[in-house]
Amino acid sequence: MIIDVNCWTGPWGTHALPGEAAQVRESLRRIGVDRMCLSPLGGVWAHNCHEANGAVYAAADQWDDVLPVPVLDPTVATWPEELERARQHGRARLVKWLPQYGRYAPEEMTECAGAIAEAGLGLLVQVRLEDARRQHPLAVVEDANPAAVARLAERHRDLTVVLGGAPGGAIAQLAGPLLELDNLYAEVSQVDGMDALAGLVQAGLGRRLLFGTHAPFFVPLAGLARVVADLDDEPAAAILGGNASFLVAD
Amino acid sequence: MTSAAAAATVERVRALVRPPCPVLDVHVHPLQCFGPHQVASVREDVDLLRAAAQRAGVSRVCVFSLHESCPREPTPEQCREANDYVLGMRDAAPDFVLPFCYVSPAFPDEAVAEIDRCVQGERMVGLKLWVARRATDAGLDPIARRAVELGAPLLQHAWIKTTGNLSGESFPADVADLAARHPDLQVIMAHLNGCNPRGIEAVRPYPNVHVDTAGGDPETGIVELALRRLGPQRVLYGSDGPIRHFAVSLSKIIGGSLGPEAQRDVLWNNAVRLLPPWAGLRAIE
Repeated sequence: MIIDVNCWTGPWGTHALPGEAAQVRESLRRIGVDRMCLSPLGGVWAHNCHEANGAVYAAADQWDDVLPVPVLDPTVATWPEELERARQHGRARLVKWLPQYGRYAPEEMTECAGAIAEAGLGLLVQVRLEDARRQHPLAVVEDANPAAVARLAERHRDLTVVLGGAPGGAIAQLAGPLLELDNLYAEVSQVDGMDALAGLVQAGLGRRLLFGTHAPFFVPLAGLARVVADLDDEPAAAILGGNASFLVAD
Repeated sequence: MTSAAAAATVERVRALVRPPCPVLDVHVHPLQCFGPHQVASVREDVDLLRAAAQRAGVSRVCVFSLHESCPREPTPEQCREANDYVLGMRDAAPDFVLPFCYVSPAFPDEAVAEIDRCVQGERMVGLKLWVARRATDAGLDPIARRAVELGAPLLQHAWIKTTGNLSGESFPADVADLAARHPDLQVIMAHLNGCNPRGIEAVRPYPNVHVDTAGGDPETGIVELALRRLGPQRVLYGSDGPIRHFAVSLSKIIGGSLGPEAQRDVLWNNAVRLLPPWAGLRAIE
C-alpha cells in the first residue's frame, strides 16, 4: 500500500495549480497511491484557516481513499471546535499546523497539542510550503524551525508528530530525536539531492520516514522517484506505506 | 504487507519512474564541488556520479566544475584547475561525461585562452558561466564570440531569487541581453524553476536561448509551460546533480503531461542538436 501523508487541494496565489480535489486524487491514483492525506490550501493565507477545511471533509466523504487532514490554528480561539469536528469525522487521523502562516511557535502550543493527543489524532507540522527563493517577493514565508517540532514531540510523548516538508539536511540534523522518540516521524517530499534519502536510511531513520508528494505543488511522480531510485525493496516499501500504516488502521 | 507484496509494489513503482528513452543531462557538477560524498579521486567522483545517474536512467551527463572551493569570482588558475578535473572525469569515463569548460568573464583574455585550450584543443563540448559577472557585462562578449567561432553552446546560470540575487548573478533579462548581442550564440539558460514564468517570457523573443530544467523543486507544470511558450525544441533536461536528485529532476519531464515526442526532445534530442559534432551524439526518432 502506498500512503501519501502530505498532499493538498485548493488554489495558490502565485501560479496555477491543478488543485481541485478530483485532479489531485486522480494524479495520485495514476501513480498507484492508495491513500492520500489531503489538506486545504484555501486557508493558508486566510485570517481563519478553519474556514477552508470543509473542502477536505467533502473530498473524504466522496472518496474512501481520501483521508482529511484539516488545518488547525491553535491561535484561533475556536480551535477546540475545529478539533472536535476532526475527531467526530471518523476518518481523520491527522490534523495539520502551519506555524509560519499562523505565526506561532509549535512547542509553545501545549494546550492544543495535548488536546489533539487526547482526541486520538496525530499532528503534522508543516515547516515549508515553498522554497523561499521562489515565493512572491511581497509574501515571503521562511521555513519553520524543524528542531521546534522535535521539541514538541519530546514534550508530548503521547502525541504522534509528523515533521512535514522539511529538507533532507534538516531531517538529518534531527536524527537523534527521530531515533529516540517513537512518536516522531518525518515526511520526505522536500528531500532532494543525490543519495539524500539513502543517506537518511543509512543513518538508521528508515522506520521514521513517511512518503509524501506535496502534490499539487510538486509532480507526484517525483515523490515516488526519490524513494525507489536508490533504496532496496524493504526500506522503500516501509517509506511508501508501511511506516504510515497507523494512519489507515481501524 | 508481505515482503513479496512489498517487492511487487516497489517494482511497479520502479517501472513508472524509468525514462522512456536515453537521457542526456546538460547540468551536472562533480562531487568535488557539491553533494553528500567526500571523494578522494577523479575516478571515485565519476564512478559515484555514474552509478547514481544510471539508477535514475540517465545515460550521458554534461559536467562542469566550479572548482573544489566554488569561489564566486574564480581566478584563471582556478578555472584551469576546475577544467583539468573535468577533463580527468572525461578521460575516466568517455562514454558518460561530456565536459564543459568553466571560465570567468572577469578575465576575458584568459577566458578565451582557456576556451581555446579546452574546447579547441581538448574537445570539450560547451562553456559554463556562473556568477562572477552578470550576462550584461562586456566581459562576456569575447567569450561569446569565441563560442560562436568554435560552435560550442554557452550555459549561463540565471535565477530570479526573491531573497536577492548575488551581485554577479544573472537574471533571465540579462541572458536575453546576451542573446540579443550575440544572435549566433547558442545559449542555455540554466534553472527553469529559478527563472520562473517571468524568466520564460524574458527570453521568449530570442530563439537562440534554450532553458534547462536544472535545479529547484519538481514543480508541477513548469516544464509544460516552458514548452508552450518557447516551443518544443528550446527546453533541455538538466538536474543540477548532485545538488538535486537525477530521478526527482527527471520526474518534471516524465511525470507531467508531455507526450512521447516532447519527452524525447527534452530528454535527449534538443541537447544533441546544440552540442558540437565532436560530442558524437545522434538524435533519436
